[in-house]
Amino acid sequence: MAGRRAGDRCLGWLTCGAAVVVLGCLLLIPLWLVVTLLSSATMPVPDAARLGRLAADGLRATACALLVAVPLGFASAAFTAGFCAARLRGALRTLFELFAAVPTVVLGLVATASLAPWLAGHVATVLALLVALPCALLATGFAFGARLRNARWLALWLVPVVIAAAACALLVASLHGDTLVVPRSPWNAMLVGLALGLAVVPVVFSIAEEALALVPRNQVDAALALGATRWQAFASMVVPAAAGGLAAAAMLGFSRCFGETMIVLMAGGNTLHGGWDPTMGLRAPGAELALGLPDARIGSAAWEHLLLVALLLFAVTVAVQWAAVLVRSRLRRRHAGARA
Amino acid sequence: MTARARTDAAAIWAIAGIAALCIAAMAGVYAFVFARGAAAFWPAPIAEIRLRDGALLLGEVVADSGDALVLRLDEAERRGASYRRVAHADILGRDEPVDAVAALEQDGRRRYWRGDAAPPDAAAADFVESIRPNALSLPTRIAVAARRALRFMTDGSVATGGVLPAIAGTLTLVALMTLVVVPLGVATAGFVHLRRGRGAALVRAAVNTLAGVPSIVYGVIGLGLLVHGFGRSIDQWFHAGRLPLPTFGGGGLAWAALTLALLTLPVFVVSVDLGLSRLPRRLEQASLALGATREQTLRMLLLPAAWPAVLTGLILAIARACGAVAPLMLVGVVELAPSLPLDGEFPYLHPSRQFMHLGYAVYDSALASADMHRGVPRAYACAALLIAIVLVLNLAAMMLRERLRLRYRALEG
Repeated sequence: MAGRRAGDRCLGWLTCGAAVVVLGCLLLIPLWLVVTLLSSATMPVPDAARLGRLAADGLRATACALLVAVPLGFASAAFTAGFCAARLRGALRTLFELFAAVPTVVLGLVATASLAPWLAGHVATVLALLVALPCALLATGFAFGARLRNARWLALWLVPVVIAAAACALLVASLHGDTLVVPRSPWNAMLVGLALGLAVVPVVFSIAEEALALVPRNQVDAALALGATRWQAFASMVVPAAAGGLAAAAMLGFSRCFGETMIVLMAGGNTLHGGWDPTMGLRAPGAELALGLPDARIGSAAWEHLLLVALLLFAVTVAVQWAAVLVRSRLRRRHAGARA
Repeated sequence: MTARARTDAAAIWAIAGIAALCIAAMAGVYAFVFARGAAAFWPAPIAEIRLRDGALLLGEVVADSGDALVLRLDEAERRGASYRRVAHADILGRDEPVDAVAALEQDGRRRYWRGDAAPPDAAAADFVESIRPNALSLPTRIAVAARRALRFMTDGSVATGGVLPAIAGTLTLVALMTLVVVPLGVATAGFVHLRRGRGAALVRAAVNTLAGVPSIVYGVIGLGLLVHGFGRSIDQWFHAGRLPLPTFGGGGLAWAALTLALLTLPVFVVSVDLGLSRLPRRLEQASLALGATREQTLRMLLLPAAWPAVLTGLILAIARACGAVAPLMLVGVVELAPSLPLDGEFPYLHPSRQFMHLGYAVYDSALASADMHRGVPRAYACAALLIAIVLVLNLAAMMLRERLRLRYRALEG
């Protein structure tokens, strides 16, 4: 009996120790950065101008990425949660989950080695395609969609259509040449936006989809019973009810984009710019750390500047993430109440 | 057909189309990387180009920029030294002679010639590979590509483009990381499960926060605290004789493994925690009712029942570690390590050594290579291998999770 008690106590201590280690790690990161910065012999004078330009470059890359990730993620989540066949829904979630696991260095490689030279000559084509595709889809749906009784597998049928449309547009563009918009650098914020946006789409999708699916089914059923169409019920009941979750999805997407390193390092060009021109190169905080730290001497001004950048990165990402979690848990609590 | 039905259909078509765009883009990235990875091994034809000034060039076309070709000619002197840019306007004729030979030297140089007689400075016995690419049939071409892919993965010599050292470095790193992550992660998940309430909520929040910390910040901590802090102290106490040459005070395998352990801990804990909390409550209640303590229930019943969740978490952690490049760049990954971290020399495992990593090989080959026409195909080959590994690991994790779900259902049924 005594031996058993001792074993129990031992396991209890072990688990407590592990929990302390985990909490310690989280506290250690900001504490170590702050203490090192404060205890340096020469009180560091932060290079505010450089920090500001780094933050601006990081935000520019993030904004471009979110312009890609949020519409794609939200629309995919809306279709998956609201209108999709159950089997397709499972398949789509698996596909997004698998894509979330693709290492960002691979996306960075595709962006820098293959997409960059091509995009430099096709900016206007890509922009036109991004505007024209939804318009064409809306028009087609308006003209023929209502005859289609069942839209549950529509996303799958539209894949070849979308590919064909994109291929046609690219063919036309390559015949005429595209010199309408010439980026000032082949490695620019638009390129980063495309690659980083694609990398973050799964994050935005999975959180938004979960939030939309969490809305109690009986609310939708009530709306349908009162004569609303499926889209009306979705747009007027489900989306407002899940607004908090959608906001959380966008915020977590922001946090991921701002803290990302490999894609901005490989596709951003790494020249500090600081403005808002999406056709210019950029140097995001993550890239500044990856490039600067291996050569920085400990205790030098450069070293302290880089630690400050790391602290900034940590503070921004964690703050945004906590805000997102807060928004999301409030939403969960409300729906738990509505279900009961 | 009311206007209402039409606008509804238009909206649904728009979101379905954007979902289709996502599917196409994601599948496209996979297809593109695999295709470019395979193309790196494909035996390219050898062209013989006749110029306006009468010169005859024999070589492989490695790039076409629209108005000019880049040719790799016979590399008699050194690797990457005989690229030649030829404007399309200067080309009179282009031919692919059947008797052209492409050979690969031990040191990675590519040799091209026509006919049976090898150049006098090349010894036929030393070639790694010698083929006539223009005369190959499709099945032989595929066989050559497969042989090259196999050599790529099993060749220790970096000169000819092998990634075996990078694979070995990645495996050693992941194994060391596992030794830290599994005990720490299982104990953390156990804590969350044993002590429900405020403490558990705090730890859970900490784990979720750690999951969102940018990976490069882990690298900064690994460099500043582990390498420069602990590493230098260890050097001063135990390896003072070798100073100022660093032993543990420079980036190395041990610090990289610890950094990655911290980075992948959240993924692992979340998975184990999920597995434990999805177990039917009746199991635990029955155990407690029979007089077992909570600790005994955890150790003897819950953890064994949830072992697929532990395995799932481990697989996901390994997949994350294979793709994490940014933090490793700060704590000891190198493009070319002089020796493997694991070898036949006592004590066999050398935790202070620098190492190579498959993900870093992608970055390094693509951007830091002096020879772009070799580097980029190599980067794609590494990338294809990397996403194949990550894909297989993630699919395995998903299948395990599905099995666990079925098992729980059986327990409940």
